[in-house]
Amino acid sequence: MLGNALAADLTALPAHVRSDPFGQMAPADRTANVQPAARIALSSAREAYVSCRILVSNSQPAAYTLSVSGPLETSLFREWFHFLPKSKLYYPDALIPATSPYRAQLPDSGNRIPGQTTQSFWLDIWVPASAKPGPYTLTASLDAGGSKSSLSIQVQVLDAVVPAAGPIVVDHNSYGTSWFSSQYPELAKRTPNFYLSDPFFSLIHAYHRVYFEHRGIYHQLGYGHGGKTGPEFAPRLEGTGKTKRVADWTYYDKHYGPLLDGSAFAGTRRGPQPIPYVYLPVNPEWPASFLWWGEPGYEREFINVMGQMEAHFREKGWTTTNYELFFNHKKRYKAFHWDGDETRFPNDMPVFAEYARLMKAAVPAGSPVKWVYRTDASWQMERQFKELSGIIDFWVLGGGMFGWYAENAPILKQRGDTVWTYGGTPPVDQPASHITTDLLRPWMLGVDGFVRWQTVMPGPDPWFKSNGGGETLVYPGGRFGIDAPLASVRLKLQRNALQDLALLDSFKSAISPDTLRAEAAKRYNGTELKDWRSVRPKLADSDPLTWDNVTIGEAIPPDPRFEKDLDAAAWDRVRDYVLTLVKERR
Amino acid sequence: MKTAILAALLLAAPLLAQDQLATELDQVARAATAMVDGDVASRIQTARSVASMLETNPRDQWAAADDYDVDHQAFITTKKTLIRLARLCSSTCDANLWLPIAGALGRIHIAIRNVNEMSQFWRWGDLHQPVPAEMKSVLETGKRVTVRKRPGMVSVLAPVYDSLGDIAGVVEVVGVLKPNHQENVQ
Repeated sequence: MLGNALAADLTALPAHVRSDPFGQMAPADRTANVQPAARIALSSAREAYVSCRILVSNSQPAAYTLSVSGPLETSLFREWFHFLPKSKLYYPDALIPATSPYRAQLPDSGNRIPGQTTQSFWLDIWVPASAKPGPYTLTASLDAGGSKSSLSIQVQVLDAVVPAAGPIVVDHNSYGTSWFSSQYPELAKRTPNFYLSDPFFSLIHAYHRVYFEHRGIYHQLGYGHGGKTGPEFAPRLEGTGKTKRVADWTYYDKHYGPLLDGSAFAGTRRGPQPIPYVYLPVNPEWPASFLWWGEPGYEREFINVMGQMEAHFREKGWTTTNYELFFNHKKRYKAFHWDGDETRFPNDMPVFAEYARLMKAAVPAGSPVKWVYRTDASWQMERQFKELSGIIDFWVLGGGMFGWYAENAPILKQRGDTVWTYGGTPPVDQPASHITTDLLRPWMLGVDGFVRWQTVMPGPDPWFKSNGGGETLVYPGGRFGIDAPLASVRLKLQRNALQDLALLDSFKSAISPDTLRAEAAKRYNGTELKDWRSVRPKLADSDPLTWDNVTIGEAIPPDPRFEKDLDAAAWDRVRDYVLTLVKERR
Repeated sequence: MKTAILAALLLAAPLLAQDQLATELDQVARAATAMVDGDVASRIQTARSVASMLETNPRDQWAAADDYDVDHQAFITTKKTLIRLARLCSSTCDANLWLPIAGALGRIHIAIRNVNEMSQFWRWGDLHQPVPAEMKSVLETGKRVTVRKRPGMVSVLAPVYDSLGDIAGVVEVVGVLKPNHQENVQ
């Protein structure tokens, strides 16, 4: 029985404040002290998204139609409310595309929330570079059983243009493709030989695309801890010893071709462009068999195949992307004798040099193909900076521990190395601003990027029993008939912050970077630049073999200004600063 | 009648294939007993790592994993032997090495795994675990045991001897009827 549409209410919230399904502000965002309003005013530079949230509320079940109109292009998304059994609270995160006019009912029968009185929508407004600076008005309209209401969305378009590239790369990592069949069971079921089918490769590309469209990049590791490579991640090899060679590029090219030539991104707002980084399938068991490790056959197999890879990439013109030689294995998983990832034992270090030697032997001098040698370091990073100088040129560093050694950032960068940090992803029940700390901190520390180590695992039941989503920023779309990942609220918040950061960074030619950083820190959480790195503890001067996770944790004391005291509006204050700079420059 | 015969044949085919696989794996396992050096194998894990594994660090559940370390030469030598053994298989197979933990009666750990990361006994990430009954039997009797626990997967467990003639560990030669190319690529 649907009725009482007269009570239907249409209100708006800024993007950084989330509602629950009962019209109350999500507990984590209440410190922002914002309430839904009958109108909203936004400002934006050009070539950027500006976003807000629209709430449809009704105390009684009702059918409704929501539409958005105006002079700027918009994308509307219904926010899925995820139930967190631990706290028994609902938080919106997955975004389901909703074409305007959007017809639905409240409560939403799909979301199955007893007593739901509010449905929230995420609204993306695209401000193109061609937009004339000035005020624009969009209107959201609600028709609930003949009762009509509307909401004014004012957008002040500024004359600044957000740079296409920002100062920080945010990378979204994942492992293999075995999870596709469980996250997309219907697609896998209806597609004969799903793995290696066209829909399979389309799905891989869709993951790259969703992160690309949100100003991020996506990594998919293509081998296991024992060195097994999937046919979609490595060309098929044949032969042994001196006869070892690539026999078939078919699936490799199907997977990587559109990513390496950029065509996978055709039709996106950012346009086709090759991915900037990609993992190679190289590991201790590929392309050379570990059987020959330390023998001439290992070198021969490695050089044969890597030489072919170089020639293949060169001939195809895939020379924009950085190809990463990267080892992910750990000896605790019992397949190899050394730690490629987070190396702890000093006697493992020489192996890195050996692979550098092999690569140098495999790749012809003057090759236009870009090779980088990456290591993800924690325990021994300070020692590795010195011992692996000239060997490793791409550092991905444990975010907390790197604070002890942050003075190395300019040294590493001066010698031409790329430096990223790594860490996790704030779950949905953290204040909306927390997702932005991970991109602001690298910028504060003067490094180049941040890796979220796992970003595609929403848990066994993200829809009705969410584990918080700390290992995902996207959700499988199959439930809604979409064979692609759905973006999340957190991903959109991160994208918007990356836009702001790109704009903020563009002022460094006029304002000293330290001033920009200091102002951003002050507005973000009342901190100073020095607060963004840890003080070097005594522990750092002892042997890492004597450390454990507790002593490390104790040496990185929690700072409530970055955790429980960091309010939902933190980034919004940085954004205000950026927009003030834009207006002042004008 | 025809349908019943057809159904019986369809059911019998995988069993026959599994038997053929088991026969081949048994031959490899027999060779493993001859080829794997129990003295070298017993030197794989470093003493420091063993000590850490036997302690329970009440403050840090990951301490033993972080401390896990091996003697490079012993590991490499033994792993190469296991790779050679796996090459005797006509289809996808792995040869894993399991070693009882000195000082921890009733516990065993997988010391070396191989490229396909197949095992019917190892649970991802476990540093050590109770000795499964099938391995206990091999360790006590020296007789090979064939195991069919997971659908489509067959393991043959064979003893590894040291120079004193004692059983130092167990090789698990494991194969699968239908390899999954995406599994364990993570």
